[in-house]
Amino acid sequence: MEPELEPPQLQFRSAEMGCAFDDFHGLISTPQVTGGSSFTALLELAPPQAVELLVTEDFPAKQPLPPPIFPTDIGLIHRASKFSVFASADNSMESNTILSVSNSIPVKQEDLDADSRRNSSSPAGSDQSLKSGKRKEREKKLKESNKKSKSKAANDDGEELPYVHVRARRGQATDSHSLAERARREKINARMKLLQELVPGCNKISGTAMVLDEIINHVQALQRQVEFLSMRLAAVSPGIDFDLDSLFTVNGSSNDNSYSGMLAPPICTEGQLDGARQLQLQQLWHCDELHQSVWARETDTSNFIAPANSLLSYDSTSANSGKPVAPRCTTS
Amino acid sequence: MAESSNSDANSRKRRKIDPDSQTRWRSEAEQRIYSSKLMDALHHVRRPGSGGHDAVRDAADRVLAASARGRTRWSRAILTNRLSLRLAQINRKHKKAAKPSAGKSCSRKPAKKLPPVESKVKVLSRLVPGCRKVSLPNLLEETTDYIAALEMQVKAMTFLTGLLNAGAAAPA
Repeated sequence: MEPELEPPQLQFRSAEMGCAFDDFHGLISTPQVTGGSSFTALLELAPPQAVELLVTEDFPAKQPLPPPIFPTDIGLIHRASKFSVFASADNSMESNTILSVSNSIPVKQEDLDADSRRNSSSPAGSDQSLKSGKRKEREKKLKESNKKSKSKAANDDGEELPYVHVRARRGQATDSHSLAERARREKINARMKLLQELVPGCNKISGTAMVLDEIINHVQALQRQVEFLSMRLAAVSPGIDFDLDSLFTVNGSSNDNSYSGMLAPPICTEGQLDGARQLQLQQLWHCDELHQSVWARETDTSNFIAPANSLLSYDSTSANSGKPVAPRCTTS
Repeated sequence: MAESSNSDANSRKRRKIDPDSQTRWRSEAEQRIYSSKLMDALHHVRRPGSGGHDAVRDAADRVLAASARGRTRWSRAILTNRLSLRLAQINRKHKKAAKPSAGKSCSRKPAKKLPPVESKVKVLSRLVPGCRKVSLPNLLEETTDYIAALEMQVKAMTFLTGLLNAGAAAPA
């Protein structure tokens, strides 16, 4: 029984291969007949043999498939040729290019085709794609992908570019509206991440509302701090020798040209103390802990302030009404 | 992050704010510049007797906005607001009796959307100066820069206060 069965199968297969080779040669010899793609050339030869040829080409490593059932309808064959997995590499490349080009508004139709090809190529890999039932399933999948569905694959797309270059994710809706929305959402999320890094303690919180709460609290706290500090400054500043501090800052900041020009006269009068003060200020600036540095050097600054007072003859009791610096220096 | 917009295509497109706003505001040089400018501003603020904390605060904010070099919206708003506020106050005193407010009678329509995120965004936009009608991504960008600038302001003012306190405490 069995040995009897085997030879006919082998013969059948060899016949198939023979036919396949013949068809292949026929294809090579007559490419110009059709002038079209290889699919139509194959189709013109003989539908069953062409399909079989291509099927065997594509699945060499897989299990030997049963000989496909050939519908006689040529229109069906044409549609099947579009949907099937022939030259799968070319198809995928085409679909990728089509997808990447989808930045303009007329995206819908192109993505329809790309989606159809993509969706059909994967299931067609496992099934025989010539049955009409399968074709209907594929059309259903097309319709599903066109509806607004949740994102499936985690492909990277939607980078921040001046134009909206958003790639349609697999299974996602390809409306121009949803694409724009997605790009906008990604922009917003990127900025929220930056803010989260800036505000302490926001990294652990998840959810936009809570993060926004934290940000608002932080901004309010900072503004309150500024107000409090300004109060302290206002309280402290009347009794202070401003001139001295402006000298400090002039020595410290060489960037401000306006300052150096304005305060040049007072500097030359007190050239002796400049070097020491410069060192002082630099030491103060380079310390990280501001409070500690200030309070540590309190005694040092007092030594400098005392002689400066005598030099400048500044009267702390007199209310300063915004006197400019220059006249004050000329008096000293 | 610093992706330049199409400056070649449209000159009126907004320039991106950040070449790393954090590093800009946290640099020592920036702090030094700010302190020195603040000292100078404090000279001019002094009015006989009424050197109120508000005046000091306004001066501090103005100096902060000035050191932002006008690239951010909030800094521009701070710098222009002080002037326009004064003008508005003056105009209001003159025009109060003249014009009845006719256009403002239309009440605000009841807002349908009550999403908590939306209300928080509004609160935030009120906090950041000059960002009331700004879109959300821009608002977030402005907030980033504003927070960094505020932190620098706090640091510098703390330093100055300490310095002045030390200076004042010694001779007294």
